[in-house]
Amino acid sequence: MQSNAALEYDYSVAKLFTFTTILFGILGMVIGTLIAAQLAFPELNYLIGEYGTFSRLRPLHTNIVIFGFTLSGIWATFYYVGQRVLKVSMAESKFLMAIGKIHFYLYFVGALLAVITLLLGFSASKEYAEFEWPIDVVIVLVWVLWGISIFGIIGIRREKALYVSMWYFVATFLGVAMLYLFNNMEVPTYFVSGGIGNIMHSVSMYSGTNDAMVQWWYGHNAVAFVFTVPIIAMIYYFLPKESGQAVYSYKLSLLSFWGLMFVYLWAGGHHLVWSTVPDWVQTMGTVFSVVLILPSWGSAINMLLTMKGEWNQLTDNPLIKLMVLSSTFYMLSTIEGPIQAIKSVNAIAHFTDWIPGHVHDGVLGWVALMIMAALFHMAPRMYKREIYSRKLIETQFWLQTTGIVLYFTSLWIAGITQGMMWRAVDEYGNLMYSFIDTVDVLHPYYVIRTVAGVLYLAGVFIFAYNMIKTMTSSRTLTEEPMFRSPMA
Amino acid sequence: MDIRELQAYAYFFMTILLVVALYGYILHLYRSEKKGEKDYEKYGKIALDDEVDSTPIESNPKSKSEK
Amino acid sequence: MFHWLEKNPFFFAVGVFIVIAFAGLITVVPDFAQSARPVAGLKPYTVLELAGKEVYKKDHCIACHSQLVRPFKSETDRYGQVSLSGEYAYDRPFLWGSKRTGPDLHRIGNYRTTDWHENHMWNPKSVVPTSIMPAYRHHFTNIADIDTAYAEAVTVKALFATPYDAPNGTKLGSHEEAKAAALEEAKVIAGNMKNKDVKDAVANGQVPEIVALIAYMNRLK
Ligand code: HEC
Repeated sequence: MQSNAALEYDYSVAKLFTFTTILFGILGMVIGTLIAAQLAFPELNYLIGEYGTFSRLRPLHTNIVIFGFTLSGIWATFYYVGQRVLKVSMAESKFLMAIGKIHFYLYFVGALLAVITLLLGFSASKEYAEFEWPIDVVIVLVWVLWGISIFGIIGIRREKALYVSMWYFVATFLGVAMLYLFNNMEVPTYFVSGGIGNIMHSVSMYSGTNDAMVQWWYGHNAVAFVFTVPIIAMIYYFLPKESGQAVYSYKLSLLSFWGLMFVYLWAGGHHLVWSTVPDWVQTMGTVFSVVLILPSWGSAINMLLTMKGEWNQLTDNPLIKLMVLSSTFYMLSTIEGPIQAIKSVNAIAHFTDWIPGHVHDGVLGWVALMIMAALFHMAPRMYKREIYSRKLIETQFWLQTTGIVLYFTSLWIAGITQGMMWRAVDEYGNLMYSFIDTVDVLHPYYVIRTVAGVLYLAGVFIFAYNMIKTMTSSRTLTEEPMFRSPMA
Repeated sequence: MDIRELQAYAYFFMTILLVVALYGYILHLYRSEKKGEKDYEKYGKIALDDEVDSTPIESNPKSKSEK
Repeated sequence: MFHWLEKNPFFFAVGVFIVIAFAGLITVVPDFAQSARPVAGLKPYTVLELAGKEVYKKDHCIACHSQLVRPFKSETDRYGQVSLSGEYAYDRPFLWGSKRTGPDLHRIGNYRTTDWHENHMWNPKSVVPTSIMPAYRHHFTNIADIDTAYAEAVTVKALFATPYDAPNGTKLGSHEEAKAAALEEAKVIAGNMKNKDVKDAVANGQVPEIVALIAYMNRLK
């Protein structure tokens, strides 16, 4: 580096991932809203023949939101935050720049293949691990590339201390790598049988109860390491930076980090309560789920206290509003989860709509709001333009908040109602309701949930429009804003 | 001793170990701050002052360019 | 020690890894041998049933159906005997599901028949007027992939010692034998069905997806 004066952070990879975050956000949530509507109005199953049924689209929805929208968001923010907290620019290393770009393009190709194969029905039918083995191989490669990026940039850093966000990114990398590999251990049947049948097909290395244990160890912790850990990485950077307030307690952030790492992995058993896995695994799942409240709330409270004495920003800065609401939803879902994990509650809640309800206050409330706030914060710095419209952010905020509240309240009621009806007996001890009775009562809640989905989706479209306008036609900035993001 | 028993011991000792480590860490955090060896809260500023040319809180001697 | 860990990214990563890997090691691994034991008399799936399971997977019936009867009276009254770990020994992957938008199917073979399934899969509303289950008419025209199912059986026999070709068990045999056996089984099922396309296809030596799927569901008992 000859002259430091010319040195700037290089956001080209972050920009690419910003683009896919928006793309997959829209795609995933459009499909989500459609399948929500299908439960209320089953005729909607037949829009595109074989490919449009609820069951074919549901894995698309979950995978696009998890591995499309959220992962892109994680990487967009990583390629932004990573440079900044380590005080080193990607422009300083041709190698890392190349790795970053390959990372993106390979990911994008892999994602498109994943969407196509799922739509065609190639599926391992393990939730959130549906991809068949060729896609898994691509995913592993993408992951390795990300690893090189992380450790590469850490290797050339100027700031010796790793900011806590980096801890969380590193943990995301390790956690997902371990979980994904073990859960997707599968054997392609084509090769073992000597070239018979479909080359895409594979069979799981684990069977029955074992498979269930591995799957939910994975399933639950995919939530941990995609929907929690990296989102915490984001909020620990973006909330302080946007508000100009350092984290309330840095020590608490480190402690909750280790607490979360240790406790989270045990909690997977709560997906298998009352099943055929050994009792002690179930009990362990319940106990650790409850303990998990501590580190989760540790982080959440730390975020909220960061705003101590600066609560006025909540009213004047819509980005702060998004982030604070997001951490509030984090608190809500991390208390709701443990409640559902308690055995007696689980007996009613499991298999009902309360479970998707819970996931959605986490993902719509905590994950998606945080990612969108992060991208809004990054936009003026990456594109050197102010955010196109503050009004639109406000509108989006209210649409989405209403959407989330309608969403989880309707599914709470739906889930508990159905759970109670399944077990209701008359005075002679006979079941009171046939199964279809318990489906019929849900119709109004499914309608409300669809409306909620439409509201939230409208917010996402507004977000996308606002971002695109910011990239292309908003007023240019001469100087990078220090804290608060400028907006028109 | 069957696998169950082994498992139980492994679980028990590992958990104790990690709990001790966690409490040790808490102690360490507060002690080293009290003794003035290290101020953890200053790391919070890494997020606030994060230009390429701002002075690192702790410089990395191995990095390519020292300022 | 802690200072050092915080500043050494490599050892920091190792530390994180140990902490997160610990739980998996303890909870998941040690039960492997024990939980994989089949209940007495459990037979591996026939090739046709495997092909049907593939249809079940391809169309993600687990999005709405569970296969796990929990130990409550309300569930055993509704669906039948409580599910046992050993019953799943040949299920790769397990298909317990996590959501019951529709009823549990682990014992469906006890109370629904081929011809009931035929009507229901063609149009659920014809059987249950307010059903919200989609109709799966493409199962009546798409042809099931018997070859891949055979490849799967060969794989699990070779690698996981699934007892095919054992005395009194499920016979697998050579590729040609397996195909012929699957077709014979399919003929019996098609004999109980009305759909003309399905009957024609089976007469021509092909197995529509619906036939394989019904073979699979009839086996769930
Ligand atoms: C959108 C959710 C949904 C999907 C997807 C779905 N089902 Fe259903 N299923 C239902 C509902 C609701 C019922 C209860 C009403 C009825 O019998 O139609 C049901 C009932 C059934 C029944 C009758 C169970 C009984 O005890 O009477 C069978 C069998 C069945 N489904 C099989 C399947 C198969 C096979 C698939 C995959 C190809 C599938 N379902 C996909 C919702 C679904």
